[in-house]
Amino acid sequence: MKINKSLKLAVNIIVHSKLRTWLTIIGIVIGIAAVVAIVSIGEGMQQNIESRLGGLGADIITISPGGGRASVGFRGGHGGGMPGSTATSAAAENLTKKDVLVLQSVGGVEFIQGIVSGNGQMYYLGEKATVSVEGIDPLVWKEMTTSELESGRFLGPSDYNVVIVGGRIAKDTFKQPLTVNRMITIEEKAFKVVGILKESGGFGGDDSKIIMPIKAARDTLEDVGSDEFDSITLKVANTDDVDQIMEEADKKLMISRHLTEKEKDFRISSSQSVQETMSDITQTMTLFLGAIAAVSLLVGAVGIANTMFTSVLEKTKEIGIMKSIGAKNSDIMMIFLLNSAIVGLVGGLLGICLGTGISSLLPFLGMRLMGMGREGMTTVVTPMLLIYALLISVGIGMVAGVIPAYRASKLKPVDALRYE
Amino acid sequence: MVIQLENVWKIYQMGDVQVPALKGIDLEVKKGEFLAIAGASGSGKSTMMNLIGCLDLPSKGKILLGGDDIAGFGESQLAQIRGQKIGFVFQQFNLIPTLTALENVMLPLEFQDVDTPAAREKALEILNLVGLGDRVHHLPSQLSGGQQQRVAISRALAVDPEIILADEPTGNLDSKTGAFVIDLLSNIHKKDSKSVIMVTHDFQLVKRAERIVYLKDGEIERIEHKPKEQGGEFA
Repeated sequence: MKINKSLKLAVNIIVHSKLRTWLTIIGIVIGIAAVVAIVSIGEGMQQNIESRLGGLGADIITISPGGGRASVGFRGGHGGGMPGSTATSAAAENLTKKDVLVLQSVGGVEFIQGIVSGNGQMYYLGEKATVSVEGIDPLVWKEMTTSELESGRFLGPSDYNVVIVGGRIAKDTFKQPLTVNRMITIEEKAFKVVGILKESGGFGGDDSKIIMPIKAARDTLEDVGSDEFDSITLKVANTDDVDQIMEEADKKLMISRHLTEKEKDFRISSSQSVQETMSDITQTMTLFLGAIAAVSLLVGAVGIANTMFTSVLEKTKEIGIMKSIGAKNSDIMMIFLLNSAIVGLVGGLLGICLGTGISSLLPFLGMRLMGMGREGMTTVVTPMLLIYALLISVGIGMVAGVIPAYRASKLKPVDALRYE
Repeated sequence: MVIQLENVWKIYQMGDVQVPALKGIDLEVKKGEFLAIAGASGSGKSTMMNLIGCLDLPSKGKILLGGDDIAGFGESQLAQIRGQKIGFVFQQFNLIPTLTALENVMLPLEFQDVDTPAAREKALEILNLVGLGDRVHHLPSQLSGGQQQRVAISRALAVDPEIILADEPTGNLDSKTGAFVIDLLSNIHKKDSKSVIMVTHDFQLVKRAERIVYLKDGEIERIEHKPKEQGGEFA
């Protein structure tokens, strides 16, 4: 029997047992919708991370002091990106000018700068705040940063007590927004604001930092020796070489600092490696949550199998009739297999619609229920996700239908005909 | 000769007891013959019908169909034989309730991979022949018993089989529609010279056949021959 005829008969069975079929379909709809919604959250997180970490620049390598041999860590960014990060570096031996010179000899490095960073008390119009201060090399920094100016200018080589302020500090930290040419006080030193950065929204960016010339930072922050840096950042000429350059930098630093693998007291990371770690984490999480959602799919599959058994039982006589007029076992098998595949397909299609709907509502719900920040959560439904969901639902339908269909096909025509 | 039964036994296992339904049947059905198998219920006529129709295999003995032993065929080959050579007419009509008359008649053709337009044409032709041309899109539940049985006969004829197997074809019909159905069957036998094998316990019907096999307790009691002229006459 041709497949389109089998399909016709399969559809005929479905059309004539509407209620039962719909109830079965609902099982699949819920499962697929749950999977689609959850995976879309994961995809959204992934994209979020990618876009935010993109702010770091894929071509930046950061060397920071600190124990542990892990060359990949969350302490990415321009060193001390997060408040309090100097505390960890205090324990280890700081990076020095000598390290910068060593790193300069690494091939493929376009720019290099030592950075000092720390926290300082900032006063502005009578208000006080603790801010993260970063002392940079004015000549190099503007070549390396991915931050853009909202207003004002970058720092120049002759600048001393001037700062550039991160977008979030300028806008949100004080009642009165900070603007160019305002005076602020950091650790009892007066600075003039010469530039305000655009807000990047990511976690690796300079949104919550005060950027000042490294000379000024050394004088302002405590505990920073004159030859020491809290981190060194490299900008590579070609992003493809990041891994290789990281390796070389690692080797050279080990030699110059006379360290063995065990004594290693610095970390090298790139935004790429951070991104990979983060992606791994979100992927694992998505997989985990998806697996939980898949349990409901399993229940749906059992539902299909159950309905199919009932259907085969109910159609026993008709199977006998069909066999007596020339239906082969394979014909009967195909009819019932297609029947359950259609149930899976319809369930999958509706599940995709429901799942996509839920996933588009989730960011609003998520913000309310989980108290998520301004960035909230984003969900992304990719075409691949939909295609997979559909394939899986049809596959589940067919797998669930195999045994009932096989049973149907193996019915003896005499017994089936006698069945009432 | 179309079908030959050689010492055919059918034994059913009922718990620990073996119940023989057929005990060594020898019978030949000739091409174009109108044969009736008569007997009381429990005489083994349904079992015999199932065996002749390749719905079941004998426990012992041989059933030769066109010279080949059906025991040597696989399930799908048996299905093919049923689909191509045998047309069934059941007491219960056994139409697929969710398919229209036309779709029911087309079904055996579709199992034989006949193209839809050709199958449709053939089915319509036969339904017209049995006088159901205006009922082709009705579901079985919308048809009377006689009409349903005519659809069933149309379905049996669709693949142009060599043998029509009718199991109590009038059992569920009143005498008038029953007579009409019998006329139809005997016309098919006469016009298309198909072998018609009819199983019945109705001795009025039996008289319409050319040869009557009387079964009793799984054995052939006697075989009655009737002159050709008499057989298949209108009642």
